[in-house]
This record gives sequence, C-alpha cells and structure tokens, in this order.
Amino acid sequence: MRSAGDDLLSVSVADPQTAQRMAADLRESGGWTEAVAGVDSVVVRFDIANILRADAENRLSNAAANISAPAERQQVVVEIPVVYGGESGPDFAFVCEKLGLSGMELIEIHCGEYTVDMLGFTPGFAYIGGLDDRLVIDRLEHPRQHIPAGSVGIAGGRTGLYSLPGPGGWPLIGRTDRLLFDAASDEPFTLVAGATVIFTAVDDS
Amino acid sequence: MTIRILKPGLQTTIQSRPRSGLRHLGVPSSGAADPLSMALANRLVGNASLESALEATLTGVTLAFDAKSTIAITGATARCTLNGTAVEQHATIAVGPGDVVAVGAAENGVRSYVAFAGGLLADDVLGSPSTYLTAGFGGHEGRALEKGDELQLADTAANAPSMETPADYRPPMLGAWTVRAGASCETMNLKEPQRLFDQKFTIASRSDRMGIMLEGETFAIESDRQMPSAPLFPGHIQCPHDGSLYVMSVDSGTTGGYPRVAKIARMDLHLLGQLRPGNSLTLIERSDDDAARELQEKHAYWQAWLPDIACVI
Repeated sequence: MRSAGDDLLSVSVADPQTAQRMAADLRESGGWTEAVAGVDSVVVRFDIANILRADAENRLSNAAANISAPAERQQVVVEIPVVYGGESGPDFAFVCEKLGLSGMELIEIHCGEYTVDMLGFTPGFAYIGGLDDRLVIDRLEHPRQHIPAGSVGIAGGRTGLYSLPGPGGWPLIGRTDRLLFDAASDEPFTLVAGATVIFTAVDDS
Repeated sequence: MTIRILKPGLQTTIQSRPRSGLRHLGVPSSGAADPLSMALANRLVGNASLESALEATLTGVTLAFDAKSTIAITGATARCTLNGTAVEQHATIAVGPGDVVAVGAAENGVRSYVAFAGGLLADDVLGSPSTYLTAGFGGHEGRALEKGDELQLADTAANAPSMETPADYRPPMLGAWTVRAGASCETMNLKEPQRLFDQKFTIASRSDRMGIMLEGETFAIESDRQMPSAPLFPGHIQCPHDGSLYVMSVDSGTTGGYPRVAKIARMDLHLLGQLRPGNSLTLIERSDDDAARELQEKHAYWQAWLPDIACVI
C-alpha cells in the first residue's frame, strides 16, 4: 500500500479484473468518497477531516486480503462495427508500417472478441485488453487536440474506445458510429468493465 | 423571474457541487474550480455553500434582470457595476426589473462567482447540476452560456437581507501563490524530488478547468516512463514525457497513464481555480499527517462564517 496523496491510498493488484472486483467491494462497503480501479491498482479517496489515515489503511488492507470471488461471467455483449483506415483511422497506415503488417492483416488481427478492462479518462471511455502481441504500439509522441467520438485507438496492448470528442494520444486505426455515452439516457454507459466487445469491420458506406 | 445573459464572457458556466462516486465510470467531479469563493457568494444570499451559481472566466459576464432579487459577486477581483454604477464584491446587491449587472474583467485571479438568492435552475445530471463541458452535460444544456440565454431561479420566493463578507473571510487574490502539496509518489520515482519545492513555477497559458500547465524546470523520472493507466484525482501533478508538470483540476480525466509526481493537498485545491497564466506558484511540502491536521485547522477557522465548510474544501 502506498500514499497517492494526502487523502488517497493506492494498492497494487494482479490484473484489471481483480482491480475491478476490489474497487466494487470498496464502493459497496462504503466509507470512501471514491474507489477507482486502474489497470493494476486500486486507489481510494477518504475524508481526512474525519477518518484517521491509519484506520483507512487498515480497512484497505482487509479489503485487499478479502477480495470477492469472480462473479458469473457478465452477460453484456456489445458488437462494435468499425470503419478501419481512411479518414476514420488517420494513423492506420502509420501503424501498419510501424508493425510491419498489411492493412488486411491489421484488420484481421484486430477484429474479434475482447473484454473491457475498465472505464476511465472521460465518461464511457473504454480500456479493452487482450490485444494480440503483434499490435503492441506506443502512444503518439504528440497527442491530438481534437478527435471525434467513436475513435478506435490502440496503445500499450489495449484498444481504447473514445466515447466523446476531445483530445487523444492513442494512434487511431478506425472509428465506430456506435454511441458509447449518452448523458440523457437512463443507462448512459453502453459498456461496463467486464463486458464482452466484438469488433467487426464494416465499409465506410 | 428571468436572468438574461447580455455578454457571456470567455467561458461562463453554471457550477454547483462536485459529482461523487462515479470516477470509476470516467465521470470527473466538475463543480466550481474555486469552491470557496462560490460558497462565499452563496453565503451572502442565504444559500447553501454549493448551490448552483455562475462561474465566469477572466472576462466577466453581464446580466439583465426582470424582477427583484438579491445577488452577490466574489472570486477574482474585478470592477463590478449595477446600471453602470460601481458596486462592491463580497456584499449583497439588490436588483430589480430592468437592472443590468456587469462583472468586469478579472484583475487578479481568474474566476468570478455570481450567486442568486434561491439558486439557479440547472440540469441535474449524474447527481449534480454542475456543467461538465467535455461531455456536454449539466448546468445550462451542458454548455458555456451564450448571449441571449435565459436562466431561472430554483426558488423564486427566496429573499436575503443586506450583508457583506467579514474582512477576515475574503480570500486574497494574488500574483504569487503558494500551495501545500505532498511528494508522495504513487508509482514512479522522481529524480531530485526536492527540486519540486524550492523553486517558483509560472502558470502557463494552457490552463483551464481540466488542468494547469506549469512552466519552469523540467524533471526526470527514474523509469522508462511507460506506466499502466491508473486512477487520477484533482490535485495530482503529472509529469509527461517532456518532463513538464501538469496539475489536474476539477474536470480532469479520471485515469491517466503519465507518472504523477506529487499531489496538492485537499485544503488548498480551491486555489487552483484562481491561478492565472503568468502568476507564480511555489509548492510547499507537507506530510500526509500534517496535511490532514492543517485541513482540520482550516475548517475550524472558516466554520464561524461558513458552517458547511467541510463540504466546500
């Protein structure tokens, strides 16, 4: 366990799935103003005006030692149709060249079934793990100031699905027209951590 | 009762309490960038500290009223007028039909707050009426106000007696700021962490409700700088590849993949809303235990004027 700030504690965990379960446990148990999973960590914020740091550390240690068992596999399955390359994927050619793949190969390797590791960054942005080793690439050196919603990026062995327009640092290989976040909806988030995502290639038209 | 926007200024939004408990879905806190100043405006007009109010940025805002109301202006120092005649900040202003109130350009500080007796009606989304511009929700249609927009009061019957903020409770708006912070690195090791605390940084022009860029010396990290995305909170200071420092603010992303090298203490987060490009900033080191104790002291000081201070800072 480490300090992540005056009112923040961080613990390392083995993998994104464990992080999600532990963070969900902590949110359910209450006593934290936030409990958020990262890829390999969980960070909690607590009210330092009322809770002693030592007590918070004890509770967090206990939670880390008693993480609930994996639940039944999530039934959420979402197909994400992607237009690869062209204007939809401005870094498609760069990624192909960098990874030594043809366009067809890149699409073939990227299409398929994955699991959402976590949401984060902005509302509904999805970090999707399990990318093929042949598609591991770094973030862009210079992030873009503005990219459209639905952009599909890859970086560090993950696919990132941009739910909103805005700045973005992941190389973009395509775009989906699937709505990923809708504040006006009763269920604003299309994806949840643990959901199954199926990427399929579609034509521009 | 309608409040009409005559001049919206650079970026005027409705802000209220922060969103809470949704960071795991990517939803940031939002709310006033300087919640203490917003609370002081709400206090004068008899509202709870985090009632919906206007946050204007740098260039002020001009409003027209069509009925009697009581308002108050706090935050950045600015020349304020009622029908062209100067009025005081940190004091109630009685307005009536046909009146025009102008909040002038910020002289010191960045953000002015205008509170209205009864609070503003606003879109309550994901647990708060605060505007979150990136995703376009909350406040007034999820966006910054535009000329001609019309706002309504949440409670039209509210009334507030004439009042002003005691001199001891008017936060100074400065050109040189100090904020308390902890060097407690979450994962990465900063080379020469002490350098964080013995120099003046300059606030860069690339500063907004998402974050504040610091100009000054750059820093080196003892690692390859690649880290898995981890939870990120307002006050965290990230150090991206070029070695510069970037302070996360109220609308910052909820996770991030850059090394974070320090965190501004909770008690001083409200100051982030007033750091103006060109101002200087010095970080003062505090242990986690000292930061908790000094927060309690700060609460005790403010409680006499703002009874609900613990939900503000």
